Amino acid sequence: MDSLNTLREELGISWRIAALRLRGQMEYRSSFLMQIAGSFIINFSELLVLFALFNRFDNLGGWSLHEVIFLHGVSQITFSIADTLSNGIDTVPTLIREGEFDRVLIRPVSSYLQAMVSEVSLRHLGMLAQGVIIFVYALATIDIDWTAAKIILLVTAIVSGIALFTALFTVEAILSFWTVNSVEAINAFTYGGSDLAQYPLHIFARSIRWLFLWIVPIGFVVYYPALAILDKPDPLGLPGFASYLAPVMALVFCIVIGYGWQLGIRHYRSTGS
Amino acid sequence: MRVYLELGIRSFRQVLTYRGATLAGLFTNSIFGVILASIFLGFYASTGGADVRGWSQSQTLTLTWLNQSMLMVVYMWGWWEVARSIQTGSIAMDFLKPVNFVSYWLSRDLGRALAHLLVRGLPTFIIGNLLYDLLPPQSAANAIAFLPSVAFAVVVSFAFRFLLNITGFWVIDHRGINYVAMATLNLLSGFMIPLAFLPDPVLAIVNLLPFRAIIMIPGEIYLGQIPIWEGIGIQLFWSVAMLAASAWLLSLGERKVVVQGG
Repeated sequence: MDSLNTLREELGISWRIAALRLRGQMEYRSSFLMQIAGSFIINFSELLVLFALFNRFDNLGGWSLHEVIFLHGVSQITFSIADTLSNGIDTVPTLIREGEFDRVLIRPVSSYLQAMVSEVSLRHLGMLAQGVIIFVYALATIDIDWTAAKIILLVTAIVSGIALFTALFTVEAILSFWTVNSVEAINAFTYGGSDLAQYPLHIFARSIRWLFLWIVPIGFVVYYPALAILDKPDPLGLPGFASYLAPVMALVFCIVIGYGWQLGIRHYRSTGS
Repeated sequence: MRVYLELGIRSFRQVLTYRGATLAGLFTNSIFGVILASIFLGFYASTGGADVRGWSQSQTLTLTWLNQSMLMVVYMWGWWEVARSIQTGSIAMDFLKPVNFVSYWLSRDLGRALAHLLVRGLPTFIIGNLLYDLLPPQSAANAIAFLPSVAFAVVVSFAFRFLLNITGFWVIDHRGINYVAMATLNLLSGFMIPLAFLPDPVLAIVNLLPFRAIIMIPGEIYLGQIPIWEGIGIQLFWSVAMLAASAWLLSLGERKVVVQGG
């Protein structure tokens, strides 16, 4: 009971910090709006590329344009929310390098939550808005047999995906407890993973599929739920319940990453003097 | 001339010192190369292996890997050193140096590009060749012409980036310009898809714009998709035109410089 109260208290404090950061950003309104428009424009250009390709080709591995757009929508909604949640975590390597992380550790609030709200930015709102728009567009153009089970599946998949990507964004912060070099290779998994999730998984080379199913289980939170929702066959031949594994896979991944964070905190030696 | 050579050599060496970043970059380029190649293989599966708009599957895959290899050489994203020097005011010190301001940055960029060609471009393309059956240059002449075409691509790319940076004299926040530039290059440079895949009316306009000269023309020359002299000619035209535009815009901006502090 005590730990539950502590958690509630910590979440309350974190929320207040987050709200303050947001109010700070709103003071620079034009810069804020520009960032939102910017991520919108860049993602929109990628969507136009997709339209251009489907103009010249019939299908992509047996998927139609609108089915691929469905994947784009789900993946963008998931990724943009996770990216927003992880802005603060992204700054941990810098905090460590500058010796500022000590400040986080001496406060009586969970280090992870503090890092998370240390920088809250809504610049991915543009991407989220766009994700919602193209998701609605996909729904309007594809004939989906909606059932209660499918709606629950979709919501669970999105929530699992947000947890998974947030954990994935934490990996760079964890590595930075050991090395002061920035570990940019991790971008291949975060941004690469979100790019990959926008396309049907079976078109990718076996090694890539394996990587994004069994090491970073992004395939289980976007592609497999989409198969069940769109009633598409699974060319990869996993058992039917693979479509419902999103929460399990995301949970296992988060537990591993959480353990890594704990190890990192214990290993941390301040760089300051 | 000697000072510009020296500047180029310095930048060349600077790139070589970041070994960790180079390895990480190679890994990232390779993952994205595989992702893009897989997407094209998926699309080509729907045509039964037929050419699309004059592009065979192997040609498109080869272009994808050439582009991934060229990405750092032409430094398409996020070069704002001049804009930052305008913001901080350190540009005033650069103006005092007894060198031509555009040549100063161009020689540094050429040195950087050569280093990136060796440590990023070449290894990325080798990885692509190990993973996929990529095409060799269409002929010995195409192979030889590829190199000057890469050099021209760097010059056009530099002039484009330099022009964007110089807007810093008038626009304080360069992020908006950055976003629009990124989206434009995504669509119209041939970096993501061969431009021939675009709708015809769009293609007609794109052929009149400089973006193709930044990354796709070297690949087209390599593959024999464009006559060598036409490709080099387009690049030569844009190199001269955009460097001239850079010098002109700079002269306008210079008059605006107000330096604070003592």
